[in-house]
Amino acid sequence: MLSKLMNLDRRLIFIFVALAVIIPTLLPLNLPINVSEPTQKIYDYIDALPAGSTIMIAFDYGPSSLPELNPMAKAVLRHCFDKGVRVIGMTLYPFAPTLADTLITEVAEEAGAVNGEDYVFLGFRPGGEQVMLRMGISIGSVFEKDYTNTPLTEISMMKDITNYGQIDLILDLASGSTTDLWITYVNVKYNQQIAAGVTGVIVSNMYPYLQTNQLVGLMPGYLGASEYEKLIGVPEKGTQGINNASPVHVLILGLVIIGNIVFFIQRRREG
Amino acid sequence: MKRQVPLVLCFLFGVVMCFTQFSPHSFSQSIYDEVVYWALIMSPFALAVGTITLVQTHVIRIRRRTEHWQYSFVVFAGLLTMVVIGLPFGPQHPAFAWLFNNVQVPLDATMFSLLAFLIASAAFRAFRARTFEASLLLISAMIVLIGNVPVGDLIWNTVLSWLPWDNGASEARQWILGNPNLSARRGIILGVSLGVISQAIRLILGIERSYIGGGD
Repeated sequence: MLSKLMNLDRRLIFIFVALAVIIPTLLPLNLPINVSEPTQKIYDYIDALPAGSTIMIAFDYGPSSLPELNPMAKAVLRHCFDKGVRVIGMTLYPFAPTLADTLITEVAEEAGAVNGEDYVFLGFRPGGEQVMLRMGISIGSVFEKDYTNTPLTEISMMKDITNYGQIDLILDLASGSTTDLWITYVNVKYNQQIAAGVTGVIVSNMYPYLQTNQLVGLMPGYLGASEYEKLIGVPEKGTQGINNASPVHVLILGLVIIGNIVFFIQRRREG
Repeated sequence: MKRQVPLVLCFLFGVVMCFTQFSPHSFSQSIYDEVVYWALIMSPFALAVGTITLVQTHVIRIRRRTEHWQYSFVVFAGLLTMVVIGLPFGPQHPAFAWLFNNVQVPLDATMFSLLAFLIASAAFRAFRARTFEASLLLISAMIVLIGNVPVGDLIWNTVLSWLPWDNGASEARQWILGNPNLSARRGIILGVSLGVISQAIRLILGIERSYIGGGD
């Protein structure tokens, strides 16, 4: 019995995982979500901005991280459009422009936000830290046109925005190391306020920046998305995602506990 | 000459760019602005180099008939399709967006989703409290794992409701991330940063020369 458990067929585990995802998808759970301090800080910061302020959202993620980060982007965009905060979207990630443009357009249509007045999407430029540094001098010298090929000089909301000096917050939605770069090159050099929404796997890397206040706040993966959705009062895919992920976490926890119990019993028997 | 010119350029730009960080003078800042602009212009060449390397690698695979060489044709088909649509019409074109949203997004998401299955299986087989250190790691991982989802607090508030504090799972997760994790990460960041500084000094002074094709 014990050796059977120790050598449990991995296909059985795969079936358990599949069921742990499929069942709550078909029969949605409605678990209570408690907002953590780092997410609350981002919400409070944006909420305190007066109408007409500007935030820049960097969509630094690709399709593989879309389920975690798109709900965050959607929730923040909704919050900004609702408050009359203008949004500049851009990305350092070559896979992101299409998904970011689709998302911004969708949320803007819902909120009645106008392209060029309430928001603008600049698209992608290669170069990572060079793009960040150069935008500190002039955004127009990096992005001469927006994603729809309209020159920045013809976009009304960009008329009074030259560089980071006119941007109140940069929110980096990241699946890689770009947040470290935004902090190193833009927070330190230009004293720019940075916030981040990151995938679950890199959340732990961000805590030193939270403690030093180099990050205004932090949205951690699905959890952060669901928390922000709760704060704006629109539970959507982030909430659905964290509810679906809950049984899988419990399953993995259970598997680890069972595995260790069996391991200890076997070790004791073997002396 | 082939080696000396890059070394001199590296030294010159390294020293000048360091200097611009400490001098707010307009002349120094104009040099900084110009060099950052040069770097920005050079960045797209990395993408070109990447594409050329990808093509070379797969041409060699096809020519040598290495294992699974047939899949290299799929790479070329994907590359050519996106280039043929993307170059003349731009990424805003509906056909480009359709291919991205209906081919790349599901493929990428599928590959990433497989991780959940592998992690569950690996956790069951490999995560054992064999030593004291492994036990500490295991307990921390379990707390963070359960504190990361709302069901953690639900279990805590239901099963451990007699305890004097609520939401203990997420609070414990937050404490682990904000204290032991933070300390370890800060140590790593400091170590890496010192390493980067020493490597930069070696490059500027020409001690480290591997980037020009020779040993150091």
